[in-house]
Amino acid sequence: MASEHSEIESTTCNDASQFLLLPQIVLSIIEKVLNQVLVLDPLLSQSLETIQHKRLIVEIRDWQQALQIVFDGKRLHLFTAARDSDYDCLISADINTLLTLKNPAMLTQLIRQDKLDLQGDLNIAQTYSGAFSKLNIDWPEQFSKYMPDAAAQQLYLNLKSIHHNALNASTKINALVSSLFQDELAVTIHPLELAQFKQRNRDVKNHVSALEQRINVLIRTLN
Amino acid sequence: MKETPEKTTHFGYKTVDANDKASMVADVFHSVAAKYDVMNDLMSFGVHRLWKRQTIASSGVRKGHYVLDLAGGTGDLTAKFSQLVGDTGQVVLGDINSSMLKVGREKLHNLGLVGNIDYVQMNAEALPFPDNSFDVITIAFGLRNVTDKNKALRSMYRILKPGGRLLVLEFSKPKHEVLSKAYDFYSFNLLPTMGKLVANDSESYQYLAESIRMHPDQDTLKGMMEEAGFEQTTYQNLTGGIVALHRGFKY
Repeated sequence: MASEHSEIESTTCNDASQFLLLPQIVLSIIEKVLNQVLVLDPLLSQSLETIQHKRLIVEIRDWQQALQIVFDGKRLHLFTAARDSDYDCLISADINTLLTLKNPAMLTQLIRQDKLDLQGDLNIAQTYSGAFSKLNIDWPEQFSKYMPDAAAQQLYLNLKSIHHNALNASTKINALVSSLFQDELAVTIHPLELAQFKQRNRDVKNHVSALEQRINVLIRTLN
Repeated sequence: MKETPEKTTHFGYKTVDANDKASMVADVFHSVAAKYDVMNDLMSFGVHRLWKRQTIASSGVRKGHYVLDLAGGTGDLTAKFSQLVGDTGQVVLGDINSSMLKVGREKLHNLGLVGNIDYVQMNAEALPFPDNSFDVITIAFGLRNVTDKNKALRSMYRILKPGGRLLVLEFSKPKHEVLSKAYDFYSFNLLPTMGKLVANDSESYQYLAESIRMHPDQDTLKGMMEEAGFEQTTYQNLTGGIVALHRGFKY
């Protein structure tokens, strides 16, 4: 019943997302961002040169979505992919696994661990992974197009410090939440303990009623 | 919807001489060409870009492919195809209307897209290409304006290479009653008014609304494609069936 319910919910969500063309909206935004990144880091285009016009399909298992990526030598193109779409390389994994692909050395390790399926040319996936892991945008240079060099450098340092602080805060919050859950675990009893406690309660109750009966008998005898 | 068999056809809700339709449609597009892109964005709230993205995603276009973007108008699909086929491929932007082709050519030149695009004025019913010429043919928001749709589909089938595919992106019939009513209200009340205000041409947009209602629904068009010889014909409703993307293969 629960699974039927979740299937209906998932179908409704898919219908809504199809009606609103959400995958197309999201991919069009990502495509714009990535192409801007290509402009900001010219080395990225060079790294992708060897896989020009090769089609990589990334299947995100937990989102039940697949997307295709093509680099045409100048721009990246991102589209949804259908089951029958042809490809030069296909990667299938859940989103958390895909996020670890920033490190290209992880690819073979994840395949061995059965966390990732790869079909086709491994080199394409490695090239994408390697290119984006080496991403290096000269932010002070970019900012200096809109402000003096010193201000651009200062802005970059401030943003870097904010980013660093945000990461620290996030680590601390995660640690705090984990510790709270652990404390919660310590004060919350296990269901078996609860059952045992209930059983003991019932035993005490039986003893009390037996004692009450004996006292009543004694009182009646004395009277 | 059945095509009127004799010498008449539909022009919106009007029945006109079949020989006159092409020139009447041409007049509509001569009139709207200059404001075509702006009106598309306004009328569809920009969603036409997403419908076209889905068409490209389903096209399977690759480097070296020969693509015909029929009724390609201002070249939205051609722009993307030109980048995807690379320097070894070729895209033909075809349209019956010279004004639309002119706007399309100017737009693509301004985008720096030159070298692998040809611009050809052509009638979809008699495509001027040898048999088995193209890997992919697309016709986006154009088929409903064609006088003899069956003839046009047969012509497309003829020039497709074996293994090639046709994609028809066209307005269709919404699948839900409420959506259908809202869409009717929008099409017949707001659309002509927007046409009047922005393009100073309410009649062309009245024709647009009427021609959409006279266009075959999803299953009828699928049947017409099969009749023309296409195989593995399927369609995908977009935005609740306001638009449908039909796909068929030639083997």
